[in-house]
Amino acid sequence: MSAEPIIRTPIIRMEGVSKFFGDLKALDNVSLEVFPGQRVVIIGPSGSGKSTLLRAINRLETVNQGTVVVDGFDIRSKHTDINAVRMELGMVFQSFNLFPHKTVLQNLTMAPTRLKKVPKAEAEERAMALLAKVDIQEKAQVYPAKLSGGQRQRVAIARALAMNPKIMLFDEPTSALDPEMIGEVLDVMVNLAREGMTMVVVTHEMGFAREVADLMVFMDEGKIIETGTPDEFFNHAKHPRLQKFLDQIL
Amino acid sequence: MSDTIVKIQVTDGTVTDFKDKNLLNAWRLSFLGAILCMAYLVFFHPDPYMRVLKFIPDGLWVTFKVTFMSITGALILGLVTGLGRISRNRFINLVASTYVEVVRGIPLLVQLFYIYYALGRFLRVPDLLSAVIAMSVCYGAYMGEVFRAGIESIDKGQTEAARSLGFNRAQTMFLVILPQAWRTILPPVGNEFIALLKDTSLVSILAVSDVLRRGREFASETFFYFETYTLIALIYLVITLLLSRVVSLMEERLSHYER
Ligand SMILES: Nc1ncnc2c1ncn2[C@@H]1O[C@H](COP(=O)(O)OP(=O)(O)O)[C@@H](O)[C@H]1O
Ligand SMILES: [Mg+2]
Repeated sequence: MSAEPIIRTPIIRMEGVSKFFGDLKALDNVSLEVFPGQRVVIIGPSGSGKSTLLRAINRLETVNQGTVVVDGFDIRSKHTDINAVRMELGMVFQSFNLFPHKTVLQNLTMAPTRLKKVPKAEAEERAMALLAKVDIQEKAQVYPAKLSGGQRQRVAIARALAMNPKIMLFDEPTSALDPEMIGEVLDVMVNLAREGMTMVVVTHEMGFAREVADLMVFMDEGKIIETGTPDEFFNHAKHPRLQKFLDQIL
Repeated sequence: MSDTIVKIQVTDGTVTDFKDKNLLNAWRLSFLGAILCMAYLVFFHPDPYMRVLKFIPDGLWVTFKVTFMSITGALILGLVTGLGRISRNRFINLVASTYVEVVRGIPLLVQLFYIYYALGRFLRVPDLLSAVIAMSVCYGAYMGEVFRAGIESIDKGQTEAARSLGFNRAQTMFLVILPQAWRTILPPVGNEFIALLKDTSLVSILAVSDVLRRGREFASETFFYFETYTLIALIYLVITLLLSRVVSLMEERLSHYER
């Protein structure tokens, strides 16, 4: 939990955002502001639009209505270089999505060398430092298929960090993991939070949420139903649907 | 991560399975048999076999050239067509699909004649180049389907990961998708290479002096029809077997990582 004052300009601003898949309203007039250094945890039942919300931030999903501004760029605008904005947004997926034809080290150096023209030696040095940070440097030369789920996800986090993003987006990063590997991934995320990374995390790990969240967001049926601090959520939940959801999950 | 490897089979090329470590596998038997037959004929019946053998190398070189250039052309056309077939732009998609549909509906020999005479007559394109273009156009359509299936076999999470790092569409395709798709693409494309090599014999009907045409020239002057075609069959067999070996070596080299 950050005690420091937060600069009051949001780095992510979503306003009145709606997204349709055919007739289905996956996002229904959603508004959300994320400030630099803030840790936002999004919870909600399956199919409530959490992933869609996260993916709207880096335009993996294009929305139908509303405003999405990231780091000052209107990402719905045709004039915005979306690739440049995405370089500021690290994303971690439930299914890791490491590049299987590249070694762990190459997974980390590929984007910085190609997109930011970082010299290879420098990129590798930084990659090794990141791998040390997620405690997996001994696997640098290995292909992803040889790693456990927890190791893969730590590499995926390091790969996103290798681009020096301003914001990290996590979409259920531990949901595909065996229970004994969840801890190692959450540890990495907690450390990242302590370093002051701006994070938006979709997760069902309530212990993690309690520990790091500055802001909790509860979604249901495409809408943001309730927002608040972890204390407000876990001790004084207002909305009956949130109470019911927390009863089920805790 | 998907564990399923999509297998695509098109036309009649066959790549031998070299994982068979037996001394007497089909490939070795055919290859050595063909070589021994040729050696026997040439040494023990130099007339006319040695004469045929001396007459043919020019044609062999032409067959190589047509094969190599057509494979290159078909690969490029195949890649472009495959990308066109998965394009979200409906016009591009329609063009690519129509190309595949049309080419599939016309026999190769008819296409060869048509493109060859059309290009030669109206654009004065040289013989060999016309033949190469015709072969490329035909095989490009088949390879387009193989490329499309190969690209579609890659999990869409790969595209999302690449795009979310900041790679644009082209970088994503060439750095992330195609290097992985190539594994699925190579076996059926290798079959196409071999089928193409054999089908280059069709260009002998045009004014292109490949192996078969050189043989026909020799036979019609000397009347050694049987002997000439025996040798020609053996020559095709040997180069086809060699190419299938090259293809399977390439496949082995691509298996350096697991999915
Ligand atoms: N590509 C898609 N096509 C059609 N429907 C989709 C697509 N992606 C998500 N949906 C639907 O949108 C709703 C919200 O999905 P999602 O954001 O993935 O929910 P969550 O992440 O909260 O489980 C769900 O009903 C889901 O089925
Ligand atoms: Mg989801």
